[in-house]
Amino acid sequence: MLETLQNLYLGFSVALSPAAFLYAVVGCVIGTIVGVLPGIGPLAGISLLLPASFGMDATSAIILLAGIYYGAMYGGSTTSILMRIPGEAASVMTCIDGYEMTRKGRAGPALAIAAVGSYIAGTVSVVGLMLLAPPLAAFALRFGPPEYTALLLLGLLVLAYMTGGSISKSLAMAALGLLLGMIGIDPMTGFFRFHYGIVELGDGIGVVPVAVGLFGLSEILLTAGQETPPKVMQPRLADLLPSREEWRDSTWPIARGTVLGFLIGIIPGSAHIIASFVSYAVERRVSKHPERFGQGAIEGVAGPESANNSATSGAFVPMLALGVPSGPIPAVMLAALMVHGISPGPLLIQQQPELFWGFIASMYIGNVVLLILNLPLVGLFVNILRVPYPLLYPAILVFCVLGVYAVNSSVVDVWIMIVMGALGYLLRKFDFETAPIVLGVVLAPMLEMSFRQSLAMSSGNYAIFIHRPIAVFMLGAGLFLVLLSLLPIFTRRVNWRRLLGLATNSDLEKEDNR
Amino acid sequence: MNRLIIVTFSLYVFLVAPLHARAQEAFPNRPITIAVPFPPGGVADLTARPVAAAMERVLKNPVIVVNKTGAAGAVGMSYVANSKPDGYTLLMALSSISIIPEADKLFDRQPAYTMDQLVPLALISADPTVLVVRGDSPWKSVKELVADAKKRAGEISYSSSGIYGTLHMAMEMFSHAAGIKLKHVPYGGAGPALTAILGGHVDALASGPAVVIPHIKANKLRPLAGWGAKRVASLPEVATFKELGYDAEFYIWAGMFAPRGTPEPVLKKLRDVIRQTVQEPDFKDAMTKLETPIAYLDAPDFQKFWDKDAKMLTDAVKRIGRIEEKK
Repeated sequence: MLETLQNLYLGFSVALSPAAFLYAVVGCVIGTIVGVLPGIGPLAGISLLLPASFGMDATSAIILLAGIYYGAMYGGSTTSILMRIPGEAASVMTCIDGYEMTRKGRAGPALAIAAVGSYIAGTVSVVGLMLLAPPLAAFALRFGPPEYTALLLLGLLVLAYMTGGSISKSLAMAALGLLLGMIGIDPMTGFFRFHYGIVELGDGIGVVPVAVGLFGLSEILLTAGQETPPKVMQPRLADLLPSREEWRDSTWPIARGTVLGFLIGIIPGSAHIIASFVSYAVERRVSKHPERFGQGAIEGVAGPESANNSATSGAFVPMLALGVPSGPIPAVMLAALMVHGISPGPLLIQQQPELFWGFIASMYIGNVVLLILNLPLVGLFVNILRVPYPLLYPAILVFCVLGVYAVNSSVVDVWIMIVMGALGYLLRKFDFETAPIVLGVVLAPMLEMSFRQSLAMSSGNYAIFIHRPIAVFMLGAGLFLVLLSLLPIFTRRVNWRRLLGLATNSDLEKEDNR
Repeated sequence: MNRLIIVTFSLYVFLVAPLHARAQEAFPNRPITIAVPFPPGGVADLTARPVAAAMERVLKNPVIVVNKTGAAGAVGMSYVANSKPDGYTLLMALSSISIIPEADKLFDRQPAYTMDQLVPLALISADPTVLVVRGDSPWKSVKELVADAKKRAGEISYSSSGIYGTLHMAMEMFSHAAGIKLKHVPYGGAGPALTAILGGHVDALASGPAVVIPHIKANKLRPLAGWGAKRVASLPEVATFKELGYDAEFYIWAGMFAPRGTPEPVLKKLRDVIRQTVQEPDFKDAMTKLETPIAYLDAPDFQKFWDKDAKMLTDAVKRIGRIEEKK
């Protein structure tokens, strides 16, 4: 313990040196901007700034790049809450309840809770990173394809809890998402599927264009179709801060989101997206009033926003402790270290204590900077809502197109976004939820890859999923969740048709009379 | 008369003047993009970034690296192959550039691009891959591995950067030369493939030396042999496959290409710039740190090198053939 404190002292002496501190602040500011702009995510931001970091020393470079990464998680919630446009993929879940809060005039509290939740999650998870990195990293590496498959199946079961509407509609949408996720090159045989001669589709359909289209564009189209234009908001200062009740409702979601996000974050893969999905589902599950979700429940903002932030710290665990590229973003950061002549590997923490502890300390500082930066911005951002819709919406459209284009510099992505916008409009007219589609698109390629890798490992023997303890545990947990949700059918004799949204009126009357 | 003046004038304005204007524009006058068809952190990416930084200094013009990933590189390569041949869109490709059109042929599909849509500019680096197994695995030499693989055909597994990807090819050449059958578990890139062997989910991996050396030093991985004609400088005790009597030679090389049809003066300028770039001290320094040897070849020599390499790879692809689903 004493050693840790000494190391931390060393770290702070590195991180508080003027240059390092400046780079932490610059990284956080850029990260916030990257997060706010729809489409452009932290990966694009970090890749763009990587060459600029070549001239710095290694510690400054890594502090700057990490600042962009976790700064983007703060900024990502802004457009989700204000305009229903996910600033980056990990903020998709925030759109649902965050935007509903805006429509009820509670945009300020939603943004404030997102910032505070991110701060708490960021800080607490750095403590986890600092104390637990080596043992956790070894554990994270045990996540091979079978474990990943089990985790993703668990993620799919979560779907049943994601939406307030009928389960059959949710499942239909999830199936649509999974089908869309099948587009692209077959990872095991190299066959192209459903590409219709468009090479870009070989890579599958990206999450960002789908999410921006389904959420953002469809919202704009729906608003344009209203007979009476929506009232322009006039946020008052008193409405900017969360009420006491809102603080209380957010406490546990933030705590749960932090722990959950960190644990999911250490697993190699695009975990911060999954972390926010799982957190939302957990909050809805444990809530006493699950019907409030989708109607502007602050828990639906607090949980996922905390989870995606602590997942970023989690992602640094295998990267720093073992030198393992645990996702695309840590891979770029490892590249930055290599360019500076530091070989990232299992010996990094011993060989480069200044780097490791300076980095840890800079994350403590960076999170404080981000909180200070983001809370006053709440007041500024909320004022965007004062802009009349005829001016605001065209501007948002332009940002959506630019942002989506910027991710892969691909016009095909822009078309995907437009098609998804039209599809989202139709689906929402018919009362379908669009979030399960996004989840399906996210999960399908990962699930397919890890499932087939597992079978390749076992030469086609399905027993591999029950021979590995972690996988068995997660599959068991999934099964338990399913049984739990079926329980009311037997104990309280709830009409199962009602659960599926198939109940006829006479069924419902009978039940109500009981 | 009047009409004639008008006609001549408008002819000049619409047809001749633009040519003048174009000719006067010095290349480059806007940012140059180097497309990397693989995710950040891989060999192509790590080579392209110092190249871009050094080119920027030589040219005094922004040079941007864009990762256009997907379909084992086919997306990025066909993007450059089909982009405007003006010298503003370049490609940093790996050996796999020769594999994809061959694989397309295998599946009777419209090729994403053909090799003659691209012209070589320069070879930047060529790194022989090394065969590593886990530090706690029983095999201390290639001989032991081969003997075991013959006993348990198709049971020893290896991860790769993807189906028909570079790391898959290297392993295929080795297993063909040794007459063994290994189990292939493809991943979505070299990074995840490395994670897989470190996590103990596969037994072996072919990899560029730079990324595995720290793990070799920490005894997590054990090198068995190299694919190069010479031993890897940083791993002098590791023999080559040729020395051990296996006919397998493979390099992950990184070279730059431009779309065919790029004007000759622009190509010349780019080749000059790249020649200066590879001599930049900062660039050399960066490549040394990355433990990636610079193996610069100008366009004509690179073309010869490429032709020979492409022949070797297309033969390997034909040998692997179509990967059918389980019978």
